[in-house]
Amino acid sequence: MLKKLKSVRTFLTIGLLLSLLYAGFSTYYKVMYWGFNFTPSKTTDVWTIEEHVSFVPDGRKITVSLARPGKIDGFKILDEDIVAPKYTIEKKSDRVIVSSAPRKRPQDIYYRILLYDNVDSRGKTEAAAPAKPQKPVMDEQTSALAAQLLETAAAREGDEVQQIIALFNQTPPDETVQSFVAAPRTPKATAQAVLDLLALKGVSGRMVRGIKLAEAKKTLVPDIMLEVYNKGMWKVYNLETGKKGLPGDFIIFQRGNQSLVDLEGGTDSVAKFSVMKSIRSSFRMAGHRAELSHSRNWFDYSIYNLPLNEQNALKWLMIFPLAILTVVLMRNVVGIQTMGTFTPMLISMSLVKTGFWPGLICFSVIIGIGLLIRAALSRLNLLLVPRISAVVIFVILIMQALAIVGYQWKWEIASSALFFPIIIMAWIIERASITWEEDGAVNATKEIVYSVLVAVITYFVIVNEYIRHIMFAFNEYNLVILFIVMLLGTYTGYRLTELTRFAPLAKKGARHV
Amino acid sequence: MFNWLRNFATPAQLRAAGVLGMNRRNYEIIAKSNRRRLYPLVDDKVQTKKLAATVGINTPHLIGVIEVQNEVDQFLSLVRDYKEFVVKPAHGSGGKGVLVIKSYDENHFVTASEKVLTYNEVYQHISNILSGLYSLGGKYDVAVLEEMVHFSTQFEKFSYQGIPDVRVIVYNGFPALSMMRLATRESGGRANLHQGAVGVGIDIRTGRAVAAVSHDRPIRYHPDTGADLMELQVPFWRQHLEIAAKGYEMTGLGYLGADIVLDKYRGPMMLELNARPGLAIQIANGRGLRDILKNIRNHYPHGLNFEQRLDYVLK
Repeated sequence: MLKKLKSVRTFLTIGLLLSLLYAGFSTYYKVMYWGFNFTPSKTTDVWTIEEHVSFVPDGRKITVSLARPGKIDGFKILDEDIVAPKYTIEKKSDRVIVSSAPRKRPQDIYYRILLYDNVDSRGKTEAAAPAKPQKPVMDEQTSALAAQLLETAAAREGDEVQQIIALFNQTPPDETVQSFVAAPRTPKATAQAVLDLLALKGVSGRMVRGIKLAEAKKTLVPDIMLEVYNKGMWKVYNLETGKKGLPGDFIIFQRGNQSLVDLEGGTDSVAKFSVMKSIRSSFRMAGHRAELSHSRNWFDYSIYNLPLNEQNALKWLMIFPLAILTVVLMRNVVGIQTMGTFTPMLISMSLVKTGFWPGLICFSVIIGIGLLIRAALSRLNLLLVPRISAVVIFVILIMQALAIVGYQWKWEIASSALFFPIIIMAWIIERASITWEEDGAVNATKEIVYSVLVAVITYFVIVNEYIRHIMFAFNEYNLVILFIVMLLGTYTGYRLTELTRFAPLAKKGARHV
Repeated sequence: MFNWLRNFATPAQLRAAGVLGMNRRNYEIIAKSNRRRLYPLVDDKVQTKKLAATVGINTPHLIGVIEVQNEVDQFLSLVRDYKEFVVKPAHGSGGKGVLVIKSYDENHFVTASEKVLTYNEVYQHISNILSGLYSLGGKYDVAVLEEMVHFSTQFEKFSYQGIPDVRVIVYNGFPALSMMRLATRESGGRANLHQGAVGVGIDIRTGRAVAAVSHDRPIRYHPDTGADLMELQVPFWRQHLEIAAKGYEMTGLGYLGADIVLDKYRGPMMLELNARPGLAIQIANGRGLRDILKNIRNHYPHGLNFEQRLDYVLK
């Protein structure tokens, strides 16, 4: 018999260890590949940038080369998607090359990236020193203008780059600037002019093209910033304000002079950019991340790929095992007797919805009034089923009254009455009232107090947002709980309450020894 | 500051004292000795009574069984020939729903604790039994009407009102530990320890008191009658044990508690058997049960009939 016990325990212990192993692996996997966190982060901004390239083929072999943001400081690319039917797609670190045999009809190619804000550590890129810039070739008049500009700029505030930028952006526009750069002045032309002036001073700079994130933005031209090499680092400057540093909402597609889109084998090419912002729960995004890490199939069969409604229901369910474990511990290890096995758990669930004190007060009021009514009912000598049914209806009426009174008198406490499970409340009242009649008020009160005590303990376990998040995000822990519960099913040691209950026996045993 | 800790014993101390805990009782004893399909034999008092008759165990005479609500009003005609009677639920436990009527006329029913009930109240009580108020799990039940036990005058000074009974724990057919439960004013004439009845440990060989407790704490004198509980000696002790030991043959339960009362005219009678007897009996005896059960399991002979087992225990 003892052997059998041992083998059951061994079996369950092995199960527990395996489930722990699995949970550990799964946790690692979810954190690494799906980007799950141990802390509940509610939503994240997700940006979709779409580049739409359209052109008319000219009968040659088509090659479209699109700039591709590489590693972006502060952002994570969740998803990258090219819609180019029947094209050959080749991804390089900084370009995407789409090619195809000659075609006839006008072509549309979409390049979409999904980004989410990750960290705010953005800014300077360390790099080896670039070659000294070549001095721009200028005619006499232009070089005179340039020299004048540099002189004027030197009087302004900020470093040399900021000085020049400030000069270019002053209102009303500086006349020398206007003659240096032909109107209308595009950002690109401005950037080129600033770079030229810097080159005269022997400072290396380059254009940075990308997209500034803004909601519902549509543009034909990419946004441009300047990057200037200084003391071992590339520093980003805003072309309009001269502000240093990469803004949090700028996504760099391309550095240097290469254009964003290169097309061979077509004419009339137009590249349009559009930006969309959406807020997603971090679990929704996990799907995209899973795809990136080639674990899409696993993700499809996880709860995080379900519709949000089902996810919310499951999030609620996922906390049950922990609540059950608490009840099991309270009953079998601590040894608190409660009314019904899972009544405390259901009460604690209600407390989570109502809030602690409002819920506890409401619970006491309902049970108190219910017991009074039940005492009156017992004089009517009703049969059991009609009587308990009457108690159920009374409970509903009490809840209704509390809700109305709570609303009219602005007691928010009272309206939480509606969250308690009616049938459970009725049974608590019925059980307590029978215990009251048979074993006296003390025992009845004890029963209720013990049940509420266990409910409160369970409440504090499951109300914690971190615990709830973890039990949902790492739902494999429920498997561990399952084995712990089963192992507790073989626990034959003393319950905590038995240590006092049987204490008189131990004193005796000690004396004999 | 840590004074309250004195009320606690360490697990090691309890183990040394051979105390059986609830978890071990459920897992090692009950789950292994009592097959679940045997439970109905003891959970249904009508069945228990019939079975008891087949092995020659005395039980209170059955007056009748009320099975459906529209039979409830016939209870008076059923008890017509009896001066007193007892109503109890067939599936009750712990003395719940037991009503002892010691004298009555059409509308006045005097209970054992001298309370006077009306016809309606008794009717209501029986009706409640049928609707499952006292049965395990609230299932529909039947009401058992049986003869009242005339409790022996020998115990008069030891019990306040109600009938004292003897509980014997039987393991593998061997009586292991026993106690007597005495009603008090607090327990309302009932013999339930958690309601405040006194538990007196009875030496399994002699039938003599060894220790007594009230509310789990040792006492010497009955709280209401003041009788010295250590003078308690159960008469017809071997017959008590015989009933308990036969419970094993009768049900096949390896671990059971037999509740036995002593009737003034008919001697020891079995009231009921219990497949999950409680552990308070250890406190009443001032000793643990675990080492006793272990000893029986490992060293007592197998394959004896009940007479031989009694001889073995009493020798």
